Amino acid sequence: MLLRHDGFRRLCHARELLAQLDGPQPTIDALAREVGISPYHFIRQFEALFGVTPHQYRIQVRLGRAKQLLATQRRSVTAVCMDVGFSSLGSFSTLFARRFGETPSRYRQRVKAADLVPGCLTLMATSPNRSFREVADREVHDTPENHSRSDACASS
Amino acid sequence: MRIKLTSIMVDDQEKAVRFYTDVLGFVKRKDFPVGEYRWITVTSPEAPSDLELALEPNANPAGKSFQEAMFKQGIPLAAFEVSDLAGEFARLSAKSVVFTQPPTPAGPIMLAVFADTCGNLIQLYQPVIGPA
Repeated sequence: MLLRHDGFRRLCHARELLAQLDGPQPTIDALAREVGISPYHFIRQFEALFGVTPHQYRIQVRLGRAKQLLATQRRSVTAVCMDVGFSSLGSFSTLFARRFGETPSRYRQRVKAADLVPGCLTLMATSPNRSFREVADREVHDTPENHSRSDACASS
Repeated sequence: MRIKLTSIMVDDQEKAVRFYTDVLGFVKRKDFPVGEYRWITVTSPEAPSDLELALEPNANPAGKSFQEAMFKQGIPLAAFEVSDLAGEFARLSAKSVVFTQPPTPAGPIMLAVFADTCGNLIQLYQPVIGPA
């Protein structure tokens, strides 16, 4: 698909609107109208450009913000859930666990224990005794699921 | 001193590894967990001893802002050389890849730009007067 400048700009603008979690959340149809693309083409083009549908993107943004709030603030999990725009704690927990591999409360417990720094190159530079290089130099053919999640730098 | 490794930030590592292998055709070289993320690198099957490209999570908010700003401005964050740009344009278009610039002459090269679905624009270029 070839997306000319104007269409590209509209979709980038839509992404910014979807990332705004404060205030009322427009429906996907309303968003499509706002950026001047038919809902059908909007969803299709957005997915081709960003790899997720507008709805999936919004969920991702909410979950990402929730993760940040859980790590940095003392508000309850329920409050965080509402803050980012979910109305049901159950679906929030389920979606969070599906994306990040653990429930919001488990994540909060763990992140409090370890001061996590995102980014592998950062971890590579700061990796202590446990030799990152040793792991990195090894060709890995098996899947990551075969490794313990606490392996490598997580122990730092 | 050699340059053997570079990285590109991606918004979702699982999505990225699928796109860079299944769609682009690179080969996964390394994949193991690092904390809550993964260390994933790919290389080109045409030149396995070339650079390794790490698909790095953009979980750092500063990285995310940078990536989004560059994307919005239409600036590619990586460039890959191809020997048949028109062919790649057709092949990738058939796989629903979004191009923001079709193959375009630019002096000594032809170039095109596509979205990697992970938050980056990538430039493809083909030297017109033989390889450098």
